[in-house]
Amino acid sequence: MAKHSIIQIKDLKKVYDLGAFKVQALKGLNFDIEEGSYTAIMGPSGSGKSTLLNILGCLDRPSSGAYILGDDDVAHMDDKELSGVRGSRIGFIFQSYNLIQQLNVVENIHVPLFYQGKDISDHYDHCVKLAEKVGLADRLDHRPMQLSGGQQQRVAVARSLVNEPLMLLADEPTGNLDSSTEQEILDILDELHGEGRTLVIVTHDDAVAERAERVIHLKDGLVDQDIRKGAAKAVAK
Amino acid sequence: MRGSSLIQIVQVGFKSLRLHKLRSGLTMLGMIIGVWAVIVLVAIGEGASHDAQEAIKALGAQNVIIRSVKPMSDKVQLQGRDMEWETIYGLKNSDASRISKTVPGVIKVLPVLTQRKNIIHGKRDVDCQLIGTYPYYPEFTQSKMVAGTFLNEIEEARKENSCVLTLELAEKLFAGHNPLMEKVVIRGFESAQVFRVKGIIQERVEGAKLPQQKDVLGRTISANVFIPLSTFKALFGIKNIDRSVGSLSVERVELSEIRVEFGSAEEVMEALPLLREALDKTRRGNVDYEIQVPINELNALKAQKARDTRMLMYIACISLLVGGIGIMNIMLATVTERTQEIGVRRAMGATQRDITVQFLIETLILCLLGGSIGVCGGWGFAWVRHHLLHTTTIVTEWSVLAAFGLSVTVGLVFGLYPARRAALLDPIEALRHA
Ligand SMILES: Nc1ncnc2c1ncn2[C@@H]1O[C@H](COP(=O)(O)OP(=O)(O)OP(=O)(O)O)[C@@H](O)[C@H]1O
Ligand SMILES: [Mg+2]
Repeated sequence: MAKHSIIQIKDLKKVYDLGAFKVQALKGLNFDIEEGSYTAIMGPSGSGKSTLLNILGCLDRPSSGAYILGDDDVAHMDDKELSGVRGSRIGFIFQSYNLIQQLNVVENIHVPLFYQGKDISDHYDHCVKLAEKVGLADRLDHRPMQLSGGQQQRVAVARSLVNEPLMLLADEPTGNLDSSTEQEILDILDELHGEGRTLVIVTHDDAVAERAERVIHLKDGLVDQDIRKGAAKAVAK
Repeated sequence: MRGSSLIQIVQVGFKSLRLHKLRSGLTMLGMIIGVWAVIVLVAIGEGASHDAQEAIKALGAQNVIIRSVKPMSDKVQLQGRDMEWETIYGLKNSDASRISKTVPGVIKVLPVLTQRKNIIHGKRDVDCQLIGTYPYYPEFTQSKMVAGTFLNEIEEARKENSCVLTLELAEKLFAGHNPLMEKVVIRGFESAQVFRVKGIIQERVEGAKLPQQKDVLGRTISANVFIPLSTFKALFGIKNIDRSVGSLSVERVELSEIRVEFGSAEEVMEALPLLREALDKTRRGNVDYEIQVPINELNALKAQKARDTRMLMYIACISLLVGGIGIMNIMLATVTERTQEIGVRRAMGATQRDITVQFLIETLILCLLGGSIGVCGGWGFAWVRHHLLHTTTIVTEWSVLAAFGLSVTVGLVFGLYPARRAALLDPIEALRHA
């Protein structure tokens, strides 16, 4: 019995129209991502990894093709609907952490809930629990400026979990970190995977890909290789 | 907008503004000065106009005041004497009685005769304005008695030597002693007479047009002495002698003023042509009087004030416009600076509307905070000017509301563009912004 697919992509294309000429960033992708899976997306620079992740994260719309997230066709949603999807179903982790400087750790973790209309006072304990989960119990009142890169990325991980998303998307989450801090973050991601979360991570780093169950290689906007580790899953497909 | 999150947006707004205290402060400064200026300028204008209106109102909206005016180059040289002139001009008793008989709507006519004299008590000798008039002067001029009583009909009929002093004069002359029933000497050019003080009066404004004397606090002194008109004519006559630069001029003026009271302000306007006709009947082209119509002056003053206020509003609008452009400039810079934050918020589920509202609220906070400080500053300034500097300054409700309204409007108008620009940023571009 195949696991339920939370992402279905059919002939997904993205064309950037620069007026004088067009850039075909994605030239027709087809794949599914199952619930609870851990996928790494790799490929040379300019192969379309970030473009793909932005579309998966509903930050951008495909030029053509289908993108089904959960049960919804998100390829044709308007900006407001996409914002809603981002806020409620997707957890983002960025290379440059992207915390909000004015807010402290707990407030940063709360941000996605804020745009769901949920009051921080009602969800304070939940946010604190997430901060504890990523090992920042004693930093609740700190501003991003007062934290190290690794700590900031932990806050970002906690923030990505606060809205109980369908999946976590990360674009080079360890790109700015040294190798020991990278290991810590990857350990946390492993832990999340162990809890049954769905992870999609764009990376250049083999050490990251190592931990994933599946590696999709992109090349020139097309899937070059789609490698699943472990026979059981390969059969399932 | 969800209620509780609005509070949070405001809180976040304050946090963002606190991040750049100096910049926020400077941005607000434009707003502060603009609002301060509106409040203060309106308050000063209002105060000045209030004073002028009070003065005119004191003359009575249903009254007309006719004054004797020396006609131009109408001197008559006294026979045989060099450098001595005599002029006969002005209002007559007959004018007063003709007005009360022929002009419709007239309720009362009050004749007033004024000359400059000195009043002496003990060692004190004070310049004063001697006023001969009828017993109903206080009601007519809305003056009130502070002590004693005003002149009465009997004193008028018997030409008695009774006088009433203004409060300021009494204080000056008697320095704390009770002046009632005391004797004073009124000295003119030709004669000096003893009078008995029978009352102290406080006038709403000066009864006559003396060059105003002021005390240390800048209040006007009305050094007026009232005596019965009949006494005035009997003791001092209508001859007023004025010695100046080597020449002697004698003026004969029967009445300095005739005050006419009508039933209403409307009747004043209707009766004015007939009043002129009655006065001109006995005059051959000689204009030796002027008519003051307080209601006309009041209306002119109000029209002038409306014009001034409009002018002020234009200036205020321009200054707030300049402030608004400053705010827009800063907000645009802020949006650019916080592009990445906008991208993050969008990725976390913020809609374009959420972003618009956030930046609009930040602009509004700046404007309202600036506006409030401006209002407080203006109010404080007005208070100091009014209470400590004793210059009438009236902060009007509408100027405060207008200042607030304008600052909110400026915030909305000039905040909307930067806020929309923030909202319309492409989330991906914004996120990539370093
Ligand atoms: N906004 C854009 N406008 C025009 N072209 C774009 C835009 N964004 C991406 N591209 C182009 O699309 C292609 C794919 O870019 P993308 O950022 O997805 O690459 P990537 O695989 O993430 O590369 P890297 O590993 O360097 O991050 C590139 O050729 C790039 O120039
Ligand atoms: Mg990339």
